Amino acid sequence: MSVMRALDRKLLRDLSGMKGQMTAIALVMACGLSMMIMARGLVVSLEETERRYYGTSRFADVFCELKRAPLSLESSLAALPGVAAAETRARGVLTLDIPGMREPVDGMIFSLPEDRPQRLNLLHLKAGRLPAPGSRDEIAVSSGFAGAHGFVPGDELAGTVYGVRRRFRITGIAMSPEFIYETRAGEMLPDPRRFGVFWMNSGELSRALGLEGAFNSLSVRLSPGADGDETKAGIDRLLEPYGGLTAYDRGDHPSAKLMRDEIRQLKGFSVAFPAVFLAVAAFMTSAALTRLVKLQRQQIAQLKAFGYSPFSVGAHFLKFALVPAVAATLLSLTFGMWAGRAFVSLYHRFFQLPYLEFIPDWGALAAGIAATAAAVVLGVLSAVRRAASLPPAEAMRPEPPADFSPSRLEKMGIHRLVPPSFRMALRNLERRPWQAFFTALGLSLAAAIPVLPGAMADGVDYLMEFQWSLAQRQDATAALLEPGGPDAFSSLERLPGVLSAEPFRAVPVVLRTGHRKWRTAVTGLPRNPELNRLLDRDGREISLPPAGLVMSEKLADILELSPGDGVTAEVREGRRPVVRTVLSGTVSDYAGVAVYMEIDALRKLLGEQGTVSGAYLAVDSLRWNDFLAEVKKTPRIASVGSTAAVLENFRRTTAEMMGMSQAVYYVFSIIVSFGVIYNGARIALSERGRDLATLRVLGFTKREVSGILVLELALLTLAAVGPGLVLGRWLTEAVMESAGSETMRFPVIITGRTYVMAAVTVLFSSLFSFAVVTRRIASLDLLGVLKSGE
Amino acid sequence: MENREFFPGRESGEGRTGTPLFRASSITKIYHQGTQTEVRALDGVDLELFDGELAVLLGASGSGKSTLLNILGGLDIPTGGRLFYREDELTGADEDLLTAFRRDSVGFVFQFYNLIPSLTARENVALVTEIAPDPMTPEEALELVGLEDRMDHFPSQLSGGQQQRVAIARAIAKRPEVLLCDEPTGALDVTTGITVLEAVEKVNRELGTLAVVITHNAAIASMADRVIFLSGGKITSIRGNERRMPARSLSW
Repeated sequence: MSVMRALDRKLLRDLSGMKGQMTAIALVMACGLSMMIMARGLVVSLEETERRYYGTSRFADVFCELKRAPLSLESSLAALPGVAAAETRARGVLTLDIPGMREPVDGMIFSLPEDRPQRLNLLHLKAGRLPAPGSRDEIAVSSGFAGAHGFVPGDELAGTVYGVRRRFRITGIAMSPEFIYETRAGEMLPDPRRFGVFWMNSGELSRALGLEGAFNSLSVRLSPGADGDETKAGIDRLLEPYGGLTAYDRGDHPSAKLMRDEIRQLKGFSVAFPAVFLAVAAFMTSAALTRLVKLQRQQIAQLKAFGYSPFSVGAHFLKFALVPAVAATLLSLTFGMWAGRAFVSLYHRFFQLPYLEFIPDWGALAAGIAATAAAVVLGVLSAVRRAASLPPAEAMRPEPPADFSPSRLEKMGIHRLVPPSFRMALRNLERRPWQAFFTALGLSLAAAIPVLPGAMADGVDYLMEFQWSLAQRQDATAALLEPGGPDAFSSLERLPGVLSAEPFRAVPVVLRTGHRKWRTAVTGLPRNPELNRLLDRDGREISLPPAGLVMSEKLADILELSPGDGVTAEVREGRRPVVRTVLSGTVSDYAGVAVYMEIDALRKLLGEQGTVSGAYLAVDSLRWNDFLAEVKKTPRIASVGSTAAVLENFRRTTAEMMGMSQAVYYVFSIIVSFGVIYNGARIALSERGRDLATLRVLGFTKREVSGILVLELALLTLAAVGPGLVLGRWLTEAVMESAGSETMRFPVIITGRTYVMAAVTVLFSSLFSFAVVTRRIASLDLLGVLKSGE
Repeated sequence: MENREFFPGRESGEGRTGTPLFRASSITKIYHQGTQTEVRALDGVDLELFDGELAVLLGASGSGKSTLLNILGGLDIPTGGRLFYREDELTGADEDLLTAFRRDSVGFVFQFYNLIPSLTARENVALVTEIAPDPMTPEEALELVGLEDRMDHFPSQLSGGQQQRVAIARAIAKRPEVLLCDEPTGALDVTTGITVLEAVEKVNRELGTLAVVITHNAAIASMADRVIFLSGGKITSIRGNERRMPARSLSW
C-alpha cells in the first residue's frame, strides 16, 4: 500500500502548503525556459532550414553584377580557381500594371536557361511549372508577391521591360534561395504588394534587355575548401572590362545577410533572457526554501534524532527545489513550443522559405534546466547545511529572538519622522539586505522588461517621423533605366503634378580603407537637398561639402572611419576612376547605409556634366494618378517608389512583426513582478506571522496589520521601480544594439508614456499580489501564536 | 438593561460589590477535534469580574483557564452562554467589534511576551499608544514597570523578565479597563517572575485596572483579591482573600 517513503509524503504535504509560492516560482522559471525553448528552437530550425535549403537549391557562394559580358566568357569564369560551378544570366527590372493598385509596382526579373536545367540558385516551385523552353510570354513569379496579390498559375500580368510594354502569363509560383527575404534593394522590409521577383526564358528576356549573347549577372558556387577571396579577385579581374561591379559573397548578400542577422539576434536572446529569468527564479526558490528550513528546524532535529543522516535530510529539502523545476519544464515545453510554432508561422509570412518547422533544441533545454537546478541548489545549500548540521537537542529548542538594531536611515535621524510600523519595515529590510536586494532586483527586472516593447513602438514612431517626415520629404523617387543628361532631368520635372524635383546621381563604388572594403553606391545630391534631406543625430540639416564624402554613421562605424579620415573610392561605372577622398561628415539614418557626395563634385569625378540617375519628386496629391499614368508611359523610368506606400508598409509590417514579441514581454513582466512580490510577501508573512498575529490580538485591525506587511513590500517595490526603468533603458539599448545591422537600426527612443506603462505594470501586479497575501492575514492563528515561542 | 435572571451565579461575587465589568453566564466552549471527538474546554461557566480587582484564575493545564481568558479578551467566541462587558454583549459580536473591544479596553500579557523583535522597548509600547484614544506616553508606561533605563533596547537585548515588563507596559499604556495576563511568569525564574508580578500589582493598584492573571502556580494566588479555581472546564470554587499579599513576599 505505502509505496512512498514517509519523508516523501511529508514533502508532498509541505509542498501543498506552499502551492502559491511554488506556482509563482514555476511560472517565473517557465518564462525563462519558454524563452529559451522558443529562441533556441528557432535558431536550430532556421539554421537547419538554411543549411538544407541552401544545399538542395545549390545557392551560390559568390555573386557579381556587371554591365554586359559575352556568354563566351563563361568558360573562363568556370576555369577560375575555386569555382565549382558558374551560372550566367540576364537580370533586369520590370514595372507592372496591376489593376486597382494606385502605387507603382515593380520587381526584378531574371533569365532561366532554356537548353538545360538551372545550375545554381534553383527555384523551388510552390505551384505550377517553370516557363516552357521557347515560350515568349510565360513567367514565374515569386511566392511573396503572388501571395500578396492572390495570383495563381494561369493568371495574366501586364508590365514594362526595358521600355517595352508586354503581357505575361504566370506559369508557376516560385521561391528562390536568393530571395528568402523578398525586398527591393536598399529597403528594410519586404513589401510584397509593391515588389516581386520574376523569372522568364533567357532567350526572350535577353532580347528584351538587349543582352543577346551576353549576360549581366553571375553566380558562382565554390568548390570545397576554395579560397573565396582569391576567386572573387579572379572574377573582378575577368569582369572588369565588362563593367563588372564587385564580386561579393553570402556575407554581403542582402537576403542571406538578413537570415544571418535574424539567427544572430535569436542566439543573443536565447541566452540573455533565459539567464535573467532563471536567475530570478533561482533566487525565489532559495529564499522560499531557506525560510522553510528555518520553520522546520525542530522537525529536522526530530528526523536526525530518529537517525536520518544529515545527507538524507539535506536531500529531502533539495527535492523541494526540483518540484517547481519539473513543473516549469512541463509548462515551458507547452508554452515554448507553442510560441516557437507561432513565430515559425510569423516567419513564413516574412521569409519565403519552402519549409521551416519548429525543431526544439533539447540539449540547450537540458543545459538550461541543469543551470537552474544548480543555481537553486547553491542558493539553498547553506541553509540546508546549517539545519542538517545542528545537533538535534539544540535544533529542538526554538531559535533565539532575532537580533535587530536601528537601521542606517534612522541613524541619520529619520526615525523621529516616521511611525514604528515604518521603522519595523526599514529594520526588517536592513536585517536581510541580500533578500531585500534580490527581491528588489526581481522587481526592477519586472519594471525593466515592459520598457522594451514600449521602446520598440516608440522607436518605430520616431523612425517614421525622422525618416519620412524630416528626412525624406519627397512623394516619389523616380529612377532612370540609364543615367541621362540635363534633358532627362527636365523631363522628370515636367511630369504631371510634379511640384518640385531634385536630381540625384548614383554610381556603384567600392570604398577601401586599410584592409576594409565596402561595396555600395555613392549618391550625388545638391549641396542643400530640400526633398531628400540629410540630417544629423539631432535632426539638423547637413549641407554637402564641395569635396569629400558624407556617409551613414553606421557605415563609418563599420569602416572605422572618423570625419577627416582618408578613404579610397573605386568607381565601377563609366571610365572607372579611382580617387582618394576624405570622409567629411556623417548622417543619422536607420535604414540601410548610404554614401553621399555633392552632385557636381561627383559628376566632375566621372567626367560628366548635368547627368542624373533619377530625381526625388514632390507631387501634387490631387494629380497623383495622372503622374503615375504618365510614369508608366515613360520607358526610360525604371521604377517609381512612393514614399507614402513605403511608410504604410513599414507601419503595417513592423506592427505585425513586433506585436507578438510585445505581448510576450508584457505577459512575462506581469508574471515576474507578481511572482517576485508574491513570493516575497509569503516569506515576509511567514517570518512576521507571529508579530502580525500579536498586533491583531493587541487590537490592530486586519487593514492595519496588512498595511504593516504591505509597507515593507511597497517600499521595496517603490525603490525598485526607478532603477528598473534605468535597467529597462539599458536592456533596450543592448537589444537595439544587438538587433541593429546595416539593413536596419532602431533608435533608442523611450517616451514618458512607455516608462509610465512599465511602472504601472509592476505596481498593478504588485497590488494584485498584495491583495492575495492580505487575504491570508485574515486567517492568521491568533490563539496559536500566543501559546508557543516560535 | 441588566437582567439578573441571566446571572444565577450572582453569589459568586463573594463579597464584591459595585458594577461588574464582565458578566459571564453559562459559558461553554466546545472544540471539535476531527469529526468524532469534541473537547469541552468550558462547561457552563458563570462569573462576574469587577472594576479594580485583581483576580487569579488558578487551574491545572487543560482546566479551561486560557480558553476563558481568551473569551473574556475577545479573542475567542464561546459556543454557548452569554458574556457582557459593561452594557455590551460580546457573545455574537462581530470581528470588527471584538477588534475595537481589544483595542480600546483590553491589555494583554502573554507567556511568551510576543514583543515585536524589530522594535525597541519604547517603540513596542508606542505601537499601541499610537492607536489608543487616551494613552499615557511610552515613557510613562515603561517607567511604571521600572524600565526607564532600557527604553531604547531591542527585545534581543533584554532579559526574559525585562521583556515581560515591556509587554506589561505595552498592555497598560493605553489605560485599559482590563489587563489580562496569561501565565505571565510561566517562562521566568522566581526572582524575575516576582518583578513581573509586582508590575501587574502596581498597575492594578495605581490605575485601578481590573487585572486577571492566569496561572497554574498556587503561590501566586495569595496576591489576588479573589482566586477562581477551574477544573475540567468548570469553576469549582471562588475564594476571596482576606488580605492581598504583596507580590514581593511571594515565593515558589
